[in-house]
Amino acid sequence: MIKTKDLIKTVSTSEGELQILQPVNFSVEAGESIAIIGASGSGKSTLLGLLAGLDTATSGEIWLDDAPLHDLDEEARAQLRGEKVGFIFQSFMLVPSLTALENIMLPAEIIGLDNPKARALAVLKQVGVEHRAGHYPNQLSGGEQQRVAIARAFITSPKILFADEPTGNLDAQNSHNVETLLFDLNKQSHTTLILVTHDPELAQKCDRQLAMTAGELVEVISNNASDGNSAQQDQEASA
Amino acid sequence: MSNLDTVRVKTLPRQLAWRLFKHEAKRGELSIILFAIILSVAAVLSLSLFSERLQGALTDRSAEFIAADRQLSARHPLDPLWIAQAKTFSLATAEQTSTRSMAFANDELALVDLRAVSDTYPLKGSIKLAPELFATGVATTQIPQTGEAWLDSRLFQLLGVTIGDAIELGDASFTVTQILSEIPDGGFSVFNADPMVLINQQDIAATNVTGPGSRVNYKAYFTGDENDLEAFFDALSPQLDRQIHRWLSVQDDTSPIGESVARAEQFFLLASLLAIVLAAVAIGVAAQRYAQRHFDPVAIMKTLGASTSTIRKVYLYQISFIALLGIILGTIVGFLLQQIVVSALAGTVEVSLQVWYWRPLLIAIFTGSVCALLFCLYPLLGLFSIPPLRVLRRDISATFSSRGGQYITAGGAILLMMWVYSQNLKISLILFVSGLILVGLLLASTFGLIALGRVLGKGRMGAWQLAWARIKRRSLDNSVQLISFALTIMLLLVVLVMRNDIVQQWRDQLPQGTANYFLANVTEEQRPKLVEHFAKNGIDTDGLYPVSRGRFVKVNDELIRTDITKEDEDTTNETRRGLGREANLTWDTQLQSGNEIIAGQWHDQWTPQNSTLPEGVYPVSIEERVGERMRIGMGDELTFNIGSEIVTVQITSVRTVNWQTMQPNFFFVLHPAAMSQFRANYITSFYLPPERKPELTRLMAPFASVTMFDVDARINQVRSIIDQVSAAIEFILVLVLVAGSLVLVAQVQASMDERQRELAILRTLGAKGMMIRLSVIYEFLIIGLVAGFMAALANEVSLYLLQTNVFQMQSSLHLEYWVIAPITGAVVVGLLGAASCWRLLSMNTQVLLRKML
Repeated sequence: MIKTKDLIKTVSTSEGELQILQPVNFSVEAGESIAIIGASGSGKSTLLGLLAGLDTATSGEIWLDDAPLHDLDEEARAQLRGEKVGFIFQSFMLVPSLTALENIMLPAEIIGLDNPKARALAVLKQVGVEHRAGHYPNQLSGGEQQRVAIARAFITSPKILFADEPTGNLDAQNSHNVETLLFDLNKQSHTTLILVTHDPELAQKCDRQLAMTAGELVEVISNNASDGNSAQQDQEASA
Repeated sequence: MSNLDTVRVKTLPRQLAWRLFKHEAKRGELSIILFAIILSVAAVLSLSLFSERLQGALTDRSAEFIAADRQLSARHPLDPLWIAQAKTFSLATAEQTSTRSMAFANDELALVDLRAVSDTYPLKGSIKLAPELFATGVATTQIPQTGEAWLDSRLFQLLGVTIGDAIELGDASFTVTQILSEIPDGGFSVFNADPMVLINQQDIAATNVTGPGSRVNYKAYFTGDENDLEAFFDALSPQLDRQIHRWLSVQDDTSPIGESVARAEQFFLLASLLAIVLAAVAIGVAAQRYAQRHFDPVAIMKTLGASTSTIRKVYLYQISFIALLGIILGTIVGFLLQQIVVSALAGTVEVSLQVWYWRPLLIAIFTGSVCALLFCLYPLLGLFSIPPLRVLRRDISATFSSRGGQYITAGGAILLMMWVYSQNLKISLILFVSGLILVGLLLASTFGLIALGRVLGKGRMGAWQLAWARIKRRSLDNSVQLISFALTIMLLLVVLVMRNDIVQQWRDQLPQGTANYFLANVTEEQRPKLVEHFAKNGIDTDGLYPVSRGRFVKVNDELIRTDITKEDEDTTNETRRGLGREANLTWDTQLQSGNEIIAGQWHDQWTPQNSTLPEGVYPVSIEERVGERMRIGMGDELTFNIGSEIVTVQITSVRTVNWQTMQPNFFFVLHPAAMSQFRANYITSFYLPPERKPELTRLMAPFASVTMFDVDARINQVRSIIDQVSAAIEFILVLVLVAGSLVLVAQVQASMDERQRELAILRTLGAKGMMIRLSVIYEFLIIGLVAGFMAALANEVSLYLLQTNVFQMQSSLHLEYWVIAPITGAVVVGLLGAASCWRLLSMNTQVLLRKML
């Protein structure tokens, strides 16, 4: 579903070129869930941006559902995102001037799906906030906003879902609820999930974990699912 | 994608734009930008609609002075075909034939100013008849019937006639039926002292006074739609001989009233231009804020797969919806505002009864659209360039950013609008260039301020230090804000000072006690008696000036033909245009008030002994404009024939004369030595309060041969127009002030988004409300103070340019505004800032933090 080859990202700074990503090579199978973990500034968000086609790499290749993302221009990448990708963000990223229902309808409308409203109502019900359909984001609690964001991510039945710290802004209870919802929906719809987090517990719920350290991505092999931190054996991510 | 899907995607931008528009409008998020557009449209519409109506009324008033919208005059009979032609252009016409002639009655005779008018005369204004001699005139719609003559009050005295008596004019006899008080284009000149007689046009032929050798003036009057008048003139123009025919329009009126109206029009234009600039600034500020608030939604939509063209369409639709709503609401508000003002000023300000004009609406819509488009363009281009990556990295902003480009577009748009609207490149450039100077000064001062802040803002962090820290940190943002504050204050100052100066100069023209009566033909013998008699009655005469008529003989060595025939007359004027054959001369060694020597030396020190002039040549001082017209200047010799004597003078000084004072003024002032051999007649003027008017007959009784002119009515007319225009200007001042204040509010509001974030952090960190409040107040006080000071500086520059180049006024420094502007700026901006922050500070920290996210 996703495959990268020698993916490099450098940026210019006042002190010269800075390589944010070392050559990154890995692949993800359809339906897999992957957690990318790492400290702040390690390059996880940069990688997520590249994988989702939000940003362009300095060199290397990215294949998304057999489409050469690295060869596509901004417009083509946008179309690809609309049709195949869903997003969930730490800060929810709902459009403040649209209601919950309209926020959910938005991706469906952008790619021209029929009956966006009915679809949105259905998925809103699935995430359990149908009573908040007519509310604006600032009238919703954090947990509710993230549920709406999840509903928005699933409305187009994306093949791949990118989630950036989806529980980062939520309290423990809401985090738990959102996590459950996210994984349940993911399972039901066989979506490939790429999740960026620094929450080890959340990461452990994924099929695989990739750790990002100073721009280098390594696969984390967990010996004990209940004690992910205790024994780690680094291994070069699959080449 | 199916066809249906394609249709859906195509209609998406409009639907989405509509949805965003609806929600944002409902939630008040569009209020600032919408308000700015409403403001621009309403201000421009109400100002131009009001000024159009006022101008309509004022033009009508001025038209009364030429008795029509246009006047064609000539020394020859006008072609009757032209009058017929005018009618085909849907114009109303009237005619007048005038000449000087002798009137006989009761064995007395008098030289009269004979006017014969057609039935439709006057097309504008009205003939006024007095119920008794010298009484105030009452308007009539009649003209004399054939065989009737209406006589000036003076003529009743001179000829000893009463109503019903017969008088002879040329070969015809007339019955005196009315006392003529005034006619609209009667004109006024102390030197053309002949009393007027009004008769019917049909009677003129019978009098035989217009035959060869007589000086007759033929006039045709036209009124109608402005376009028809122009079209008629274009058609008539090739048939006119510029040396014979004179085409006069209301705009050519150079009387004090004409000049007041012209100046008022310039002021309205200026005020409207400034209103446009203010509105444009408001829209620019609001558009920037609008774009910034949509950075996230654009990034989200792009992330969700929306193409750039979809986003572009969404926002272009959105801006169109906002502009459309703004224009509609602005039109309604502007119209109502103007209507309210008209009714509030009813009784003081006379406006045209026609309530609707299309031109102001078109200008308002044009302004609204151009402002919305050009001032939103750059913020929108920035908005379109927001990369989708912003959803992950919030610090990423627009990739398209060109402040330079933005300023050039905005500046260009302002200049274009000014030019299109005023059709006056000069006034537009003056305002624009002074704006640019201000911007340059402000940028320099902002950086100076930041340097100053490093010194002033030292010490333990308190409200004062916090204020300086904020100013320092956001130097560029602050400089932009400072510039817009200063521009707003400057524009307000310009309008305020111009209004004060204009109104003051008008009032100065006719101060209380301005002479309202003129006396002419006072003899040498009567002079001391008259002065004494008037003094005894508590009336000051304005000095008695000797007058004599002199006929030009030579200018240097160039002989002026005095035996010219009628046909040659104007050809002579062609080379020495301006005065005809004769001039009124006075002589004095004392320079009259309102006169100023601009070249040479006033001749009070001259004596025949110290003279550097050739023997028998005396000094003369000439008025500047007559010198230009006659192409004579310093050192030129003029030879006059006075009585049967020849007097030669040389121009030793040139004067400017304030013609707007109601006192006798002269083109030529000779040294008294030149005139010692002549008997003089004197003229003078005096002020008599209205309540003493009944004393006039008694006052003048001992001086029956002295001619008196009552200009009270004329002065009151000028005063009432000046009062009206002043009241109208006051309204415009208030409107511009309101517009300016709203712009300031918009600016403060726009800066609140960022402040909100900072306030939330400070509150979270436990800063006391009072400290935050004080710091915000200090910050705005400092910005307001500097903006006010800079505005006062730029105000002087633009006022100097405007007054000297556009309004033809004396310019002066306005030092009081150097104090008033910074203080007012500091207080107003400080208060606005405080008021806006108060709302934020009254929220609890949780809400503030929530709003931040």
